[in-house]
Amino acid sequence: MIKPENQVSLPTQLPAGPRFTIPLRFRDRRRVTMLITLLILGYVTLITLPTMIPDHFKLVEAITGFTENIKIMFLQPHLSNTSWLSLLGGLGQSILLAFLTTLIGSVLAFFLALASTRRFAPTALVLGIQSFMAVIRAIPTVLWVLIYSVVFGLGANAAVIGITFHSVAYLTKVYADSMDELSPEAIETLQAMGLKRPAIICQALIPYLKPSYLSWTFIRFEINFADAVAIGAAAGAGGIGYQLFMSSSFYFDFHEVGVMVYLILAFAVVLEIISYRLRSSNTAQH
Amino acid sequence: MLTVKHLAKSYNGTKKSLTDVSFSVSPGEVTVIIGPSGAGKTTILRSINQLIRDDDGEILFDDVDMRQLNRRQLRDARSHIGMIFQNYNLIEPLTALENVLHGCLGTKSNLAGMFSLYRNSEKTEALQLLQKVGLGDFAYQQCRNLSGGQKQRVGIARALMQHPKIILCDEPIASLDPKSTTVVMDLLRDLATNDGISVLINLHQVDIARTYADHVIGINNGQVVFDDRTAALTDTAVTDIYRKTTSSERSLVYEG
Repeated sequence: MIKPENQVSLPTQLPAGPRFTIPLRFRDRRRVTMLITLLILGYVTLITLPTMIPDHFKLVEAITGFTENIKIMFLQPHLSNTSWLSLLGGLGQSILLAFLTTLIGSVLAFFLALASTRRFAPTALVLGIQSFMAVIRAIPTVLWVLIYSVVFGLGANAAVIGITFHSVAYLTKVYADSMDELSPEAIETLQAMGLKRPAIICQALIPYLKPSYLSWTFIRFEINFADAVAIGAAAGAGGIGYQLFMSSSFYFDFHEVGVMVYLILAFAVVLEIISYRLRSSNTAQH
Repeated sequence: MLTVKHLAKSYNGTKKSLTDVSFSVSPGEVTVIIGPSGAGKTTILRSINQLIRDDDGEILFDDVDMRQLNRRQLRDARSHIGMIFQNYNLIEPLTALENVLHGCLGTKSNLAGMFSLYRNSEKTEALQLLQKVGLGDFAYQQCRNLSGGQKQRVGIARALMQHPKIILCDEPIASLDPKSTTVVMDLLRDLATNDGISVLINLHQVDIARTYADHVIGINNGQVVFDDRTAALTDTAVTDIYRKTTSSERSLVYEG
């Protein structure tokens, strides 16, 4: 029995109007931490950025100089020190470097992928190869070329080995992934007919995966071309990248740089068109 | 021809999928296994060619126990057992002819398997088989462009290319329309009657079992509950096969 003085009487009417703001999301410590971190980083950036600008920096002159150089490069491209022949030769050299590394890489990667797909290989081997390849991929191609140039000296050899090295790691991953996606039924069916493993690989795996292999390998070819140009400059591997490096840093000839940039751009467009055609012809089959 | 004795299979140690299944298949007969979903029909079929390794029992195929074979012997035995699947399981990017030719790769060398080296006689046979299943004009079509019924007929031609003594069919008509169903079932019936091949079929459709089977095996809850000529498959027998297991019976089965 509750005594009358202890009894609680409810107010007959609740106060009108919203008493709580309804949150859209629960408060999340991670979100708060992220916001604070971003704020701190923004503040640090804002106060350090002005100190990075050197005293002799003049904004107006810098902008006019920049536009002037861009104008020379893209509006007045012409050759002076190099001939068209050597330039096209250089482009060809870069293309061949990309082609060779992609070719060697894709062959090696195919066998490594077979050894690292869950469809065929034991888990220990899969994890071993995949994590090793992840380590190789984590280090950029240019760095691999420089590492190999310690052994082979700066030049084409180091470039071929270095780019191939990274291509193998990249293609192994994507090939093995597409093998993992293949439905086990196709393989099981051929097993049920008593086929041996090499036959199953050639009769089921390759027909199903050919389209995705082609497009992945082509993407790698595009990457390798870009790398070949960059490495031509960085590791003296020759090709159009080296010529680009010479005419920009050595001769300061921006007219010539413009020609080379246009040439590389044209080739990149051609590659893009080919890969588009390749992809659309593959999807048309499905 | 094929005798299964005391086949038992459990998937995770405790839950039994099959408990003591015994039956036999005679040459030149169509044997149909019917039973509710999850009764273990597919498990039985896949145990026969050891796609599923069973736990216990004997599977005598031509007086040889499939369970005792080593890898090489098993491959050899499998190359003479045709198999037909619900989803056809063709290699879709390849042509019908190439798929049929896969049937003879089980007995050929690695090199032949890798580089598709077939004799002219084998190619002729494959073309004849495609004609037999009524797909002579589709030999050079990619399989992904064929209809379901056509794919299943390519599957049958592929099985025949193996010169099989027995063909195992796992729900061969479950994804087909009525017209294709008739074509496929007529074909299988014809193989048993005229070519003397044993045909073992998993089915859901009782009426089709009645029309085409010589011999019916009813499976319920991992056990054989009916094993007789088709004429003995009365309506009460069908009801019995598709009867739901009561919970007490099920627990008995699981524990036993």
